[in-house]
Amino acid sequence: MTATANRLPLIYGGLVLLLGVAVLGSLMLGYTIYTPGELWDALAGSGTSEADTVIREYRLPRAIVAPLVGAALGVAGVIVQTLSRNRIASPDTLGLNAGASLAVVAVSAAFGTSSLFGLSFAAASGAFLTSVLVFALAATAGGLSPLRIVLVGVTFAGLMNAMVEVILTVNEAELQQLLFWLSGAFVDRPLTLVARNLPLLAVGGLMAAMLARPLDALQTDDATAQSLGAPVRVIRIASFVAVALLTGASVAMAGPVGFVGLVVPHAARALVGSRHSEKLGAAALVGAVYATAADILARFVIYPTEAPVGAITAVVGAALLLVLLRRRAA
Amino acid sequence: MTGGAAKLSRRAPVLGNLARDRARAVTIVLLLLVVTILMLLGSAAFGSTWVPLEKVVAVLSGGGERMERLIILQLRLPRVLLAVLAGAAIAVSGFLLQKVTRNELASPSVLGVVDGAALGVVIFLALLSNDSNALIVSIGWQPLAAALGACAAVALVFALSGRQASSAVRLLLFGIAVAAAAKSVIMVLLLTGPIYRTTQAARWIAGAVNETNWGEVQLTALLLVPALVLALIAATRLPPSDLDDVSARSVGLNLPVFRLVIFALAAALTAISVAFAGGVSFIGLLAPHMARLLVGRSAIAGILASALCGAVILMGADLVVRVLFAPTEVPAGTITAVIGAPYFLYLLLRKDRLNG
Repeated sequence: MTATANRLPLIYGGLVLLLGVAVLGSLMLGYTIYTPGELWDALAGSGTSEADTVIREYRLPRAIVAPLVGAALGVAGVIVQTLSRNRIASPDTLGLNAGASLAVVAVSAAFGTSSLFGLSFAAASGAFLTSVLVFALAATAGGLSPLRIVLVGVTFAGLMNAMVEVILTVNEAELQQLLFWLSGAFVDRPLTLVARNLPLLAVGGLMAAMLARPLDALQTDDATAQSLGAPVRVIRIASFVAVALLTGASVAMAGPVGFVGLVVPHAARALVGSRHSEKLGAAALVGAVYATAADILARFVIYPTEAPVGAITAVVGAALLLVLLRRRAA
Repeated sequence: MTGGAAKLSRRAPVLGNLARDRARAVTIVLLLLVVTILMLLGSAAFGSTWVPLEKVVAVLSGGGERMERLIILQLRLPRVLLAVLAGAAIAVSGFLLQKVTRNELASPSVLGVVDGAALGVVIFLALLSNDSNALIVSIGWQPLAAALGACAAVALVFALSGRQASSAVRLLLFGIAVAAAAKSVIMVLLLTGPIYRTTQAARWIAGAVNETNWGEVQLTALLLVPALVLALIAATRLPPSDLDDVSARSVGLNLPVFRLVIFALAAALTAISVAFAGGVSFIGLLAPHMARLLVGRSAIAGILASALCGAVILMGADLVVRVLFAPTEVPAGTITAVIGAPYFLYLLLRKDRLNG
């Protein structure tokens, strides 16, 4: 622990630096590649009109959305894995992404809504409704044991994904257009959308920070946690709310971006150990770098077309997970 | 003396409970068997034309009119039997994985087998289609492509994990990584390919048992029945409680090797069933939990109950898509969750046997 504590500023510093590089890369790289000078001019408002438009209206929003979503999902993932005491759990396990997808698909099938704000609102509502449902069902029958939370969540995830599939199969015309949304994307997200979801992220992040110490107690079994004086039930409820806020806001901004919430906790633990006061911060930074890097890669994998960022996060995450596993760090 | 008597009288009800639990488990497995058989007969009877149950029985025992024989023996029975086999095999695979990893989220899909098979199918559709999107070889080769993909994924998972394969959570994480990589390649291939291919691949990925012929059923049965018997034998070697290293050593098991054998068996069961039925993997997650809630933690009752639950769910899903959604061909795999989830939630909420 002490060795980790000494390395801590170094690790955080390194991650912040990486994030800076990633954000710069996200602004400069893409269909057209700009030099740092052109980037500076565009941001200052004195560039060519084309660079001005591309950077300020197209790339700046996604350079903001990607790290926010990555950080939120990384933190949510850490909380879920502690809450469920399961290292292969993620926000998807609680059914939140499936609920968001179902709401989006149902709303666009029923009302033909395709406006970004409509879909975004549907996604957030779907995620919140699902979290309330999963929470209520897990709580009614004999308390909030980790096993019960996971089982109810997974069942809802399966159920809702199935409904998504059925709706998509029955209205095949919408398939292609929604498929892109359903795999997550940071493209064409205006900053007003970010602004609307920022309060959710802020509250969720704040709750996560306040939960850091209580979550440590939850890593042991219930009896030990209780004997340490931790109000286990209250911590679980608060954790659930934090996860719902963070995941709901991310899915509203970028759709269900998979795999971030699963891998980032492993990377964070490999870097700083398993104390939440250190792990949550590291998870936020790793998640931010990871999502931003994936977003840059998504522009080049099937150049000149954009790949869905969900596919890239999965592939990058798989590679990261393999590296961690091979080094026996996960 | 009195202390001993008190101890005995305290233990007696426990033994009584054990006997009662066993009788209960046997009763439930038998009930499930009856439900499975009824479901099988019902699946043969229902469809676009209704064949009365007594005529179904007549056809099955060799009689019946020509039309009814055609409908039941050629159109309905192959897909029903494939649903039974694949549903049971996936469920048993999930049961073995959950038992041996002691992770409630373990299922055939996290070993990378299902997504590997799906990638095999997508590559098959992409490589062997001509410019007008027609396949240049028979669709009959598709199961082979799926099986190859599944084997490649399993081989990759074991090769990457190497000596770490004996650790349960690590092997699961390796499987998840391989599955995720396969899934993203699929996503990119589907998004860049023509819409027709997307639809066809999406059908496979969801899983369906329509368009099954007798040859496929025979081949599946030939491969699956021995694997299922092996699984049952393996189950008798499982300690009654979930397998941890101490209890395994105490019953004389070499746990790392035993785990590897079980993993390989689970992978084989999944590969064979998804080759023909597609990605029906949700059954593999749900059915074992359902079985545990129904019959408790006994290994043999658990494996039998899982198999029967899996068979009933997939048959039920296939029946629903045939009756409710016809003529739209909704893949049965998508409905499995809709069929299984409500009953599972009911079981979960009704009882508090999870720690029992």
